[in-house]
Amino acid sequence: MPYIAKLEKAGIPTVLIDLEDQHNMVREEALASGVPKVRFMPASRTLAGPEDVDKWIQPLMDALTRPLTDEEEESGQFSPSQNRVLFEGTSEKAQEFYQQTRFIPRPVNAELAVYTDGFPIVVPTEERVAEMLKGTSHRPDELIAYQEDRPVRLRVESCKGDPVRFQPRLFTATVEKAAVNAVMAGCKPEHLPVVLAIAETGLTTGTTNFPTQVLVLSGPIVKEIGLNTGCGHLGPGSRVNGPIGRAFQLMALNLGGAIPGVNRMSAHGSPMNNGGMCIGENVDGLPPGWKGLNEEHGFRKEESVVVFMTIGNHGGILGHEFSPGGYRALQKSGHGGMARRLGVKGTPGPHNWLEYLFPRIFSVLEGGFTLIMIPEMARHLYEIGFKSKQDVYDWIYKKSFETVGEYRSRSWPDLTTNGWMGREKTSGKPWKELSDDYMVPVVNDPFDNCIIVAGGEEEGCIQLTGGRAGFGDLPSAAYSIDKWR
Amino acid sequence: MPEKEKVYRCLSPIGIQLPVKTFPLAPRLDRIDGKTIHLSICGEPDITIALERRLKMDYPNVNWTVKKSYTPNPVQLSEEEMKTTDAVILGVCW
Repeated sequence: MPYIAKLEKAGIPTVLIDLEDQHNMVREEALASGVPKVRFMPASRTLAGPEDVDKWIQPLMDALTRPLTDEEEESGQFSPSQNRVLFEGTSEKAQEFYQQTRFIPRPVNAELAVYTDGFPIVVPTEERVAEMLKGTSHRPDELIAYQEDRPVRLRVESCKGDPVRFQPRLFTATVEKAAVNAVMAGCKPEHLPVVLAIAETGLTTGTTNFPTQVLVLSGPIVKEIGLNTGCGHLGPGSRVNGPIGRAFQLMALNLGGAIPGVNRMSAHGSPMNNGGMCIGENVDGLPPGWKGLNEEHGFRKEESVVVFMTIGNHGGILGHEFSPGGYRALQKSGHGGMARRLGVKGTPGPHNWLEYLFPRIFSVLEGGFTLIMIPEMARHLYEIGFKSKQDVYDWIYKKSFETVGEYRSRSWPDLTTNGWMGREKTSGKPWKELSDDYMVPVVNDPFDNCIIVAGGEEEGCIQLTGGRAGFGDLPSAAYSIDKWR
Repeated sequence: MPEKEKVYRCLSPIGIQLPVKTFPLAPRLDRIDGKTIHLSICGEPDITIALERRLKMDYPNVNWTVKKSYTPNPVQLSEEEMKTTDAVILGVCW
């Protein structure tokens, strides 16, 4: 839309073709870009191309010639009133107010909460927000800004001190606004530096397919605030993991304006965004030489960071392809189905259990994987010879090679190779010049993979598709929590 | 005052909408024939291949220029190219 706005402002008339259920998103983005009356036509998701074009080609050309209306010729300023205090009243009435819903038409056709994720919240009274703000030394009226220079992100260069513009509505926010959302989520003041670091990520939610946002904390903060990194850490129950994960989703809605069916168009949404997902790294479970996530991203071991991950665009969440008992049988004595698959029947371990997953896991999924594994399983990999996480990432990368012929039978590469018009990374050659039997990696870069050591004692590994590679041109991103203390 | 009757000031969680200067749309074309119209394609080849074919067939007196991308990000016109472009059709956005 910024491009369309640029053209219109330069005196070049335009018309957009969008998908018929995304008109609200077009209107919102057009307003944010300063051309609220941009002309657009709906294309069908289902009609065959020629038939669809036949329906709207005439109106399309008409949109380029039909004289402007009075509204379309208007200029001005969009500046809605914004009050710091949203509601005054009793506690009961406040709860009702914050829980209000409104109807979102197609493609939702249901009532959705205006200010919340649908669950009851902690009403953000002035007193509660003031208490929350004790968790940071930053002033309440300070705009949330980047704490260091960031590379190009969603095509915008960000410098230290630049206010964060939250996607998709490009709003800004003060530290107090983040604190309001933190109160609503059920956070405590000691969680606020984490919430502010999360806000610094810009709160990108993605829009189509299955984008899931995962926050991973690494460094001393994990123990400081009591994150659950043990049994059931991905499940309910923690007064830390849950509220912090939830704070992301509330901020995405309120600070970013990300509304399902309006500008957050994933057909199903993601259950992991329901309440949010915050994971802590178990630093004590790391084998010798295995770096923490903070170190992997250039921070020191004693620094606390949040790593923002977008997963699920090329898949989702997988796990427990093998039974815990089957895993133990493999490692203890080389028996069971896993041992038969690995060809180690009767030979005690440790064995490389990754062989059970890779490369079969790539059969319908491509791209890097984030593996959440319990300490015991990380230790087995170390004992086999993976002396660093990078060793594992490299191994997965090498396992991901397949022929160009096979790669072209996947769906996402039509997009990620830009219609096969780009160059293949390993050869440097245009895709269209490569023979069908040339071998290419399904994982773009070894570092697109990620390991998080966490979990209880039952042998299991959760695999998340994607991770810190993010989506599109969103760079891998670790944000300092310490700078928000 | 009973606790349930106490009045609280509750704060807004909503982000700050910075003022947005809004602009009028560019004046429309007085005619199609003889103009340079740019077709900026971003994905959905089922539609855009048919569209390009149809536009060139139905409007043969237009100077059509085309740039293609399979992704949601269109390949933009350069500043020089904008100077000689009369109109732009962009699609399909998603």
